[in-house]
Amino acid sequence: MPVNHDFDVIIIGGGITGAGTARDCAMRGLKVLLIERSDIATGATGRNHGLLHSGARYAVKDSESAEECIRENKILRRIAANCVEVTGGLFITLPEDADSGFGLDYQATFLEACNKAGIEARAISPREAIQMEPSVNPTLIGAVVVPDGSVDPFRLCSANVTDAVLHGAKVLVYTEFLDFIREGDTILGVKVRDSRTGETAEYRAPVTVNAAGIWGHGVAAKAGVKIGMYPAKGALLVFGHRVNNVVINRCRKSADGDILVPGDSVTVIGTTSTKVPFEECDHMEVTPDEVKLLLREGCALCPSLASTRILRAYAGVRPLVADDSDPTGRSISRGIVCLDHETRDGIKGFVSITGGKLMTYRLMAELATDAVCRKLGVNKTCTTAETPLPGSMDGRIESVSKRFEGKPSAGQKGAAGRQGDMVGKIRFDTDADKQLVCECENVTLAEIKYAVRELGVSNLEDLRRRTRVGMGTCQGTLCIRRAAKALAEALGKPEMAEKLAADYLDERWKGMRAVGWGDTLREMEFMQRVYKFEKPYSYDEV
Amino acid sequence: MKFDVVIIGGGLAGMTAAAELQKAGLKCAVVAAGLSLHNVSRREFTAAGGTLLAGDSVVSGRFDGDRLAAVRTGKLGSVELEADNFILASGKYFSQGLVADMDRVYEPLFGLDVEYDEDRSTWFDPSFAAPQKFLEFGVKTEDGCALKDGSKIVNLYPAGELLAGVSTAQGDATEAIKKTALAAVEAIRRK
Repeated sequence: MPVNHDFDVIIIGGGITGAGTARDCAMRGLKVLLIERSDIATGATGRNHGLLHSGARYAVKDSESAEECIRENKILRRIAANCVEVTGGLFITLPEDADSGFGLDYQATFLEACNKAGIEARAISPREAIQMEPSVNPTLIGAVVVPDGSVDPFRLCSANVTDAVLHGAKVLVYTEFLDFIREGDTILGVKVRDSRTGETAEYRAPVTVNAAGIWGHGVAAKAGVKIGMYPAKGALLVFGHRVNNVVINRCRKSADGDILVPGDSVTVIGTTSTKVPFEECDHMEVTPDEVKLLLREGCALCPSLASTRILRAYAGVRPLVADDSDPTGRSISRGIVCLDHETRDGIKGFVSITGGKLMTYRLMAELATDAVCRKLGVNKTCTTAETPLPGSMDGRIESVSKRFEGKPSAGQKGAAGRQGDMVGKIRFDTDADKQLVCECENVTLAEIKYAVRELGVSNLEDLRRRTRVGMGTCQGTLCIRRAAKALAEALGKPEMAEKLAADYLDERWKGMRAVGWGDTLREMEFMQRVYKFEKPYSYDEV
Repeated sequence: MKFDVVIIGGGLAGMTAAAELQKAGLKCAVVAAGLSLHNVSRREFTAAGGTLLAGDSVVSGRFDGDRLAAVRTGKLGSVELEADNFILASGKYFSQGLVADMDRVYEPLFGLDVEYDEDRSTWFDPSFAAPQKFLEFGVKTEDGCALKDGSKIVNLYPAGELLAGVSTAQGDATEAIKKTALAAVEAIRRK
């Protein structure tokens, strides 16, 4: 078994927390190894709203989280401009909220709490709210404008991984953590298995960071440490187009399905909160009751959702740190938990970073990296709050797309939007390279080749996370064979095309099954017809 | 307006049946909501003197006991299309011959009886490539006639993908669809 001693720190988990920690550690000059059992952003990172909180949601009950949010909100707008969309947000009060004690009196409390936490919030009239966001429920009796936004979690995670690699980190995806190498009460490294080849290996470093989200519970257990985690499932629905341009929230105590977030070409409603057993975290299915609840609450925010096609449903698991006294999981602070297991449990060389939120990942990474540096005796300060991520260095999309000669095509503009200033690395050499593969999201052959070359893609799901291929309104129905063929060829394995397409369709099918009625069912019949009418399949004509 | 047969739906099943009936000397009208791509049958039908109401759709029906007496369309307004017999070939979900909501599948035009599984969890196979049960659902028939609240509508013949067990989304079902159309033609001609 090969043993590798070349690292200062090993990070377990390729979600946004692990990716951010890898970046921070690498920027402080540490030799970093990041291991991820699947692809980056496959856990809770890729299964949430993609909401860039202003913090207003937490202002009344949890001012600490609210202040954290608005601070990080401002930082992300600067360092991750290419991953963030500054949409603004509304907190609306409906007549029924007034009946349940969350009327305009509560709005006043809410405004005061926001301003105290440093969140710019101002009340506007219902009429102004409708002008600002025409899809909002017209029966509203009050609204507050806050600096909410949306963030593309896949892009954000990928940018952090890319930057970590640029700073010398080694990133191993599809590499499963098996166990720790330990000597007495000291963690010396990890044993891993390549989930594609089955080969095992050992890596050693003086510090290991557990950034495995909800799976961090199991990772810690392998070190003989107990972290009382609370797996809170959150289900979400994606609608077939961008219904709203402004984030819409309910101005009341946090509840299920009360946030509607526009992101790229779609709108997402969420979430629910249900405690689930750890065994279920790998196989989340959205139940009919969850869908009913999300639709009911979504229609209260935006009535036109009732007649909008649902693209798919998905669910993630929040890695909350448990408080056994509250059964709903909503009273737990979304606060960050950074544990040095040497002081907490007497286990040396082991740090856990958990809790938190997608958008406070940078702060989480900073805290974890501070802990790592303390252990290593390294005295370097964190610079991630000032240093833009790759893709976000050169400001706005407009300036990025100016890099193309002549008028940029739809595919080039799409690529500039997704890859930011990294778009210069995409080679539009031939006419074929400029051709669109995915027409919903404007993904070209050149961008697919770039993703394979630079972003570590090995299947269509990986490609989707980095380019949005097949995520649009057709859910891959019209493009996925083209994409499969292009990807298989770029990987140098043309024989894989059929398998790549089949796996991708199964994954899309899973999200559609949960909402399989109405217009979604029509789409499902169409999808089946496209792929099954004529057998056997032929890729030659693609 | 009075016809021998009114055919609702201008797809493969509707057009095949219409051409056969018109050629056999019956006076037919086809109400085709969407594009009719079946050019050969359509030409045969119009050449034989059939009435094609393209781009129109049936919005309601008038029943007279166990018979469908007449239908109204979106464009003809209060003018009814009366007929001795009707063929309903409105397709499955995509063409909205069937509509599914969260807990049931129904036939939206006349509220005909539909064969489907009330347990939603059986509708789909997790594997996209496997046969899908929801594509098997369709309207019920007795002696080729449609059923409404369990009773036979004696002059309404469903055909094509609207029927349970017939679907082109499970592989090429062209022959099966034509067969259902010709069965409806036979039943009407025997009368």
